[in-house]
Amino acid sequence: MSHLDPRTKLALGLMAIGAVFVAEEPGTLLVECIIILLCLPLLGMWRAWLHSLRFVLPMVGLVFVIGFLSFDIWTSLVLSIRLINLLNVCFIFFRSVSPEEMGGGLNKMGIPYGFTFILTTAMRYVPLIGLKIRHIVDAQSSRGIDLRFKLRNVTNFMALLMPLLVQSFVLSDELAMAMESRGFARKGRSSRKHYRFNLWDYGLMILSLTLLVFFIWWERG
Amino acid sequence: MILLRDIRYRYPRTNWILKGVDLSVDDGEYVFVAGANGSGKSTLGYLFNGLVPHFFGGTLEGSASINHADIRDKSVAELFSHVGLVLQNPDAQLFNSTIEDEIAFGLESLGLSGGEINNRIREISRTLNIEDLLGRSPETLSGGEKRLAAIASVLCLDPPVLLMDEPFGDLDWQAAKGLRQTLLEINRSGKTLVVIEQRVDRSLQDATRCLILDAGSLLHDGPTETAKEVLIKEHLIPNYPNRSQNGPATTDPILTVKDLSHLIQGKEILKSVSLEVRAGETVAIIGRNGSGKTTLIKHFNGLLRPTEGKVVFQGEEIRGKAPSEMAADMGLSFQNPNNQFFKYRVKDEILVGPKIVGKLQEAWLEELWNGFNLRGLLEKSPYRLSEGEKRRVAIASILAMRPKLLILDEPTSGQDGRSREALALLLSTLKDRGLTTLIATHDLNFARAMADRWIILHEGRVVQDGSPQDLCNDEQLIRLGALPDPDLGQPGNKN
Repeated sequence: MSHLDPRTKLALGLMAIGAVFVAEEPGTLLVECIIILLCLPLLGMWRAWLHSLRFVLPMVGLVFVIGFLSFDIWTSLVLSIRLINLLNVCFIFFRSVSPEEMGGGLNKMGIPYGFTFILTTAMRYVPLIGLKIRHIVDAQSSRGIDLRFKLRNVTNFMALLMPLLVQSFVLSDELAMAMESRGFARKGRSSRKHYRFNLWDYGLMILSLTLLVFFIWWERG
Repeated sequence: MILLRDIRYRYPRTNWILKGVDLSVDDGEYVFVAGANGSGKSTLGYLFNGLVPHFFGGTLEGSASINHADIRDKSVAELFSHVGLVLQNPDAQLFNSTIEDEIAFGLESLGLSGGEINNRIREISRTLNIEDLLGRSPETLSGGEKRLAAIASVLCLDPPVLLMDEPFGDLDWQAAKGLRQTLLEINRSGKTLVVIEQRVDRSLQDATRCLILDAGSLLHDGPTETAKEVLIKEHLIPNYPNRSQNGPATTDPILTVKDLSHLIQGKEILKSVSLEVRAGETVAIIGRNGSGKTTLIKHFNGLLRPTEGKVVFQGEEIRGKAPSEMAADMGLSFQNPNNQFFKYRVKDEILVGPKIVGKLQEAWLEELWNGFNLRGLLEKSPYRLSEGEKRRVAIASILAMRPKLLILDEPTSGQDGRSREALALLLSTLKDRGLTTLIATHDLNFARAMADRWIILHEGRVVQDGSPQDLCNDEQLIRLGALPDPDLGQPGNKN
């Protein structure tokens, strides 16, 4: 995957999501699920995927239970497998495309640098904001503010939101300073990475498109 | 090279921050800029690379030039390759997903070709010995590695002047030693180096000249030898009180940790840690960054659950208790006070805890207002306080619940000399009143001044437990890297 053009990765991701959405039969969804799962060891993501299950399984379990209580067993199965497929496609996509690659690919597709930079920086800061939330929860819990997810704690969440908002504003201000200080506003910017389609890109795009058409045909048939 | 004449500056809607600064910085100098929090050090630095006035706006009076060109006439985009700025907060400085992309960012701004950018990345990573960091993302780096990556991202632009805002920040002694060496080498390679720093015990002696700012004016501009006297007089090098020998230290343990281990993603962060804290003691847990100090203290109030072992507080195992249930008896104040402020007034902020745990005692609060010198701050917004005041408010908000045990995580982080001295005085007073205090820190001067006993944590293990006097010169600990060489970082030492 590392030598693929980011535009190809983006297209593959979109086609995979499209295939998941067109499938409504448990059989189709299961075949898609098997194909996606087979990709994981091929891409060397098996261990990381297993690790991610502790977040994915509770979510899928919840959807299954709600689906079962609201509809029937088949609907809940379809909803659960579709969710698993979507999460797995996103998992593979975000592990194979770095924010800079995605930005570079989008630039190549004509999207302005300023916009793609916002997107890539936001992706970079997601884990940092997660860490900040952890620190704030620890600090507030240590002085008696209960921030566990319980109905009676709803009003306590101001103690999480306020410091998080203030620190996010401070961070964005400092980030703007850092960017300015490294020439963000300078005209004539270059890029050290030059993206070009190669045979692999064309081959995988054709294969994915064929699979997408096959799944649409299967569903309609 | 840099010439400032009668510089006065204020940010929009503030008072004057710089009040008539005159100075010049010549090629190849190593200038150390010292001063208390809020003295205008960083603002002065932002003027050097044009962030003041171009980025911040505000009012600039006087003349400021770089290489005979007026700073007002040059944008930051024009100045960035002449004066490279490394910011205080590495999380803001490192905004790309890998260090390689981080270094490339500024070079791409210059419009260099891909081949030239790759050459410069290789060159700078070899110079700073960070080749193994290139493919890593910033959040996986240690504090010292982040600093080096931040320096690389600026130094690759080959600016004649390198400006660093508090580079030693939260680095431990080992990382600080490495950074000092790197800065010296950069300066020896012909670069002008301007280091803005409040931890004057670190690299002051490496500089050729020291500027001391006080409330926006230059208090001293001269050799580092004469600067030291001014720094001591101004309490920017803290004059800690003699360690109080009073206090009702008993043999009764208030906190006992037995064979505590903690695994994160299969990695053992704490390895069979056992320790005891007796009522009335002040104990310091000493260790380098990443030694497991914060992970350990998070077990004391239930923020983390041990993989193995147990924590006993006041004779009762804390297993199963939520941190919010422990808060009334065990106060834990973390490194960054900004993580806890969410009220509009300091007074409300301090009263949050006592109201929740039902320990609102007027007489005790009166004592806190006086003891922590908070009366003038009570109606202010916590966000508008100085760093020292914020730390005082954060600790007061914990003490307001009258805990039996106070735990402080890196309490001197981000504090200037005056604030550290004031904090030491406060803790001495509390010790005299019998409060048990546990301090997790790598600030050895502070720990020496405050603690009766040191517990040395190294790579997740307690490697020694004893009096500071005995442990300071323990050659085995120094060889192990669990403690620094006693002379390391002291002013006058040219290590």
